[in-house]
Amino acid sequence: MDTEQTVAGARFVDPKVLARIGSLALLARTVVDGFINGLHKAPYLGVSIDFAEHRGYMPGDDIRFIDWRVFARTDRFYVKQFEADTNANFSVMLDVSRSMSFGSKRLTKLDYGRYLAACLTYFCTKQRDRVGLITFDSDIVTRVPPSAKHLDVVLHELDRIEAGNPGSLERPLFRAAEFFKRRGIIVVISDFYEDPKKAVDMLKPLSYGGNDLIVFQILDPAEIDFPYDEPTNFEDLETGQSIPVVPEKLRKQYTQLVQEHIAALSKLCGENRIDYALFNTAMPIDHALFKFLAMREKMSRVR
Amino acid sequence: MGFLAPLFFLGLAALAVPVIIHMIQRERKEVTEFPSLMFIRKIPFHSFRRQRIRNWLLLFLRCAAIALLLAAFSRPFFRAAALAAVTSTAREVVILLDRSYSMGYDNRWDRAKTAAADVVNQLGPDDRATVILFDSGAEAGPRSTTDRASLLGLIGESEIGSGSTRYGPPLKLAEGIFEDSDLLQLEAVLVSDFQRSGVESASGVRFPAGAVLTPVAVTNGEAETENVSVAGVLFDREYFSGRERVSVSARITNRGMDAVSSLDVSLAIDGRDIETVATELPPNGSSTVRFAPVTIGDRPVTGTVRTQGDLLPTDDVFHFVASPGQVVNVLIVGNERGASEAALYLRRALGVGSSPAFNVATTTVTNFDAVDLVGRQVVVLNDTRPPTGQAGSRLEQFVSDGGGVMVVAGERSVWPPDGPDLLPGTFGSPIDRTGRGAGLGFVDYSHPIFELFSAPRSGDVTTARFFRYRPMEVTEPATVLARFDDGHPALVERQIGDGRVLFWASTLDNFWNDLAVRPVYLPFVHRLIEHLADYAAPTPWVSAGQVLNLAEQRSLLADAGLAEAELVAISPSGERILVSEGVRAGFLTTTEQGIYEVHDATTPSESPLTLAVNVDLAESNLTSIDPDELASMLTGRVTGDGGDSPAEGQTRAFTSEDLERRQGVWWYLLVLVFLLFVAETVISNRLSRTALNVD
Repeated sequence: MDTEQTVAGARFVDPKVLARIGSLALLARTVVDGFINGLHKAPYLGVSIDFAEHRGYMPGDDIRFIDWRVFARTDRFYVKQFEADTNANFSVMLDVSRSMSFGSKRLTKLDYGRYLAACLTYFCTKQRDRVGLITFDSDIVTRVPPSAKHLDVVLHELDRIEAGNPGSLERPLFRAAEFFKRRGIIVVISDFYEDPKKAVDMLKPLSYGGNDLIVFQILDPAEIDFPYDEPTNFEDLETGQSIPVVPEKLRKQYTQLVQEHIAALSKLCGENRIDYALFNTAMPIDHALFKFLAMREKMSRVR
Repeated sequence: MGFLAPLFFLGLAALAVPVIIHMIQRERKEVTEFPSLMFIRKIPFHSFRRQRIRNWLLLFLRCAAIALLLAAFSRPFFRAAALAAVTSTAREVVILLDRSYSMGYDNRWDRAKTAAADVVNQLGPDDRATVILFDSGAEAGPRSTTDRASLLGLIGESEIGSGSTRYGPPLKLAEGIFEDSDLLQLEAVLVSDFQRSGVESASGVRFPAGAVLTPVAVTNGEAETENVSVAGVLFDREYFSGRERVSVSARITNRGMDAVSSLDVSLAIDGRDIETVATELPPNGSSTVRFAPVTIGDRPVTGTVRTQGDLLPTDDVFHFVASPGQVVNVLIVGNERGASEAALYLRRALGVGSSPAFNVATTTVTNFDAVDLVGRQVVVLNDTRPPTGQAGSRLEQFVSDGGGVMVVAGERSVWPPDGPDLLPGTFGSPIDRTGRGAGLGFVDYSHPIFELFSAPRSGDVTTARFFRYRPMEVTEPATVLARFDDGHPALVERQIGDGRVLFWASTLDNFWNDLAVRPVYLPFVHRLIEHLADYAAPTPWVSAGQVLNLAEQRSLLADAGLAEAELVAISPSGERILVSEGVRAGFLTTTEQGIYEVHDATTPSESPLTLAVNVDLAESNLTSIDPDELASMLTGRVTGDGGDSPAEGQTRAFTSEDLERRQGVWWYLLVLVFLLFVAETVISNRLSRTALNVD
């Protein structure tokens, strides 16, 4: 990915700078306010059951919405107003396995995924979508059901989570599929250390209910370029296994294997109508988001 | 080549360290955490298991440095140098010639010079020799020379000195010459009268193994010696018709086993014979000869006490300088009321004493006038307020110019804000310790005032009880010389200009304390006033060999009009010694017995500063030690009956330690190791930098 490309309408926000911002809400607003286009179209249709506020009764208002309890206390008519409902449930599935805690620089992959999820949910909330969150490692860790009022809960949950256990896609994705009864958008954020074919097979059930499935693979630059120089023991973060490695001897083979893995995952996702994007944690989030949305808009026209 | 500590070579195993650094340690560095080894595991393992040595030069440098370090620790030496020395039969001879004044006994000195010359004449063609002349110090001629003429010349020109015998310095010098010598036969010839008094300084001297000490005694086999000497003089001062008269008493000792009868002892003042007195001396005893009083003027006079000559004439003469009695003028300023009573004890105490004498005057603070300070050295403000105004300013000036002020706190002591700036702090209302009273909890015995009381059974100032005293808070730069047991200062000293001020927190009578009725009161008060007056008792004589700092004799130099002059000393033999030149300015080393005169270097003074120098009387004791005993002590071998004579051809065997110490190869190896490590650091830094740039 070319990080030096300038993007019209989007501010360049360095993830390292964002990492210093403690509040995820502030961070998400900082990033999302820079976008021109939205993630998807969300017309306001019907009313929901989500209470918003009271308003004084005006002639012509439906008397079904008069709050009689308030009338009993104040002897005045107030009508209840509700949040407008949207068509879409927007759910983020964030991998919190131990491999996500890796970061060759200040920012770890989990942090990057955390900011990415925060930005997307904030943005969707602005479009009146209902947002939810599932975190997983080898199983589902936490789940926030989609709701128009769950932005704070989602952000709080994102702020709280920590990478701990080894990860596996199979069980959490299988179990998550049961939660998505209603059509919506599902974003899976992971580093996808899995065989590409197996990974896509596990992802496919998520899209069965008409869900729009988007896959974000997050990798650290060190995982892509393997910039190590000194011979040393490499320890697998998830399994704890240690191997003596002379990086200069295997750098070429390693980068080749990684690129093949990325290419295979991207190709298989495309074949199964799953949107795929690779995010390098060295790239600013808004830049990466813009590139993805631009691609998605182009793809939607093709579809 | 040999090694003193070859076991250090076991450390060669440490050579593995650089190899480990190069090959093993590199892979055992800290673990790098990586998200997943999924891809790495797919790469064949054997391709990166082995590491190669990337920099042979670094490896060589490190290994070489360690190997050389071990070699240095093993203390190597070369045997070839020793073999070269073994083939030589030359001797290293050190002739130690005693020239202390006891060698002047009879004809010992001539015999000693002859004996020393004989040793030189018996030297072989390859023998090397050094002549060391010694008394209390040692002086070596040309070292390890084969030039016999210079050795004989040195012996021939040497003269008897005024010092006492000390064997330590010359033997240490000889030890050093032996250490430096590469010859196998080491021989020291000690020509002396072997006085027992000089042996103590030789403890700790040990000649190298194989060295021989040949004692040559010049005592001529005397079983007993006889020697009469003047051991010292005492002055008894008295005033007669306003003139000071000094009675000189001389102590004469007889170290012989026979009584001496009708021994004439004469006194000469300023070169003129004054009186001769005959005395009797018991065997190995002494007597005191008292001469008639001599009137002295206002300048010091030189004197000499002399006995009839005996076999050792040097100690038959005793020189001295009799200075006029010193007088310290003290003014006691008291309160209008009861001034006389308050100063009673102080006046009485100062009324006693002749060295110095105290000339005490009293006045009240009301009557105090600046004129009263003329000719005074010390002012005592005794339990009173200070003079203020012009008189106070004059008192300040008095101290700055070198005067001394003693402030004695008492019932009537106050110090108004417009009082002179003399106090080291501020004092408060009296503290009442009625009952058992307070004692002195801290006394600075290193200070001249209390130094007198520091020795055991020399008076204890801490036994005095203090029932009242004024607390002082020290605010100025000052020294607390004594404190009460509750920590309050008792005696504080403040230096102002050239003068000083002492603050005594209690009275000097017996109202607030009982110090005045203690035995220590008199010496304590004398010391206080002497210290304030900066009094230094004139030294009537010094011992030969003593170094005098003329800069400390300011008052004597001022009296002689030499305070600002460039000084030159004329020794008793007439030698001119510049004492105001170079780094040793002001220091005069007295080497000769007699009267030294210190003049202005440019114009000889009519009344120069005179210094009397006498020989150390310890040398008068001619008791000798068995020469073989001394030789045994130095060589560590039992000698006697000629068993340790050089005629037996005893040679020195160079031990491995000797060779190693002389060659000092380890030192060069360490330098090499240092250079290798420097090179290693430079090269490795450069390599690291290059690697970083490539990255």
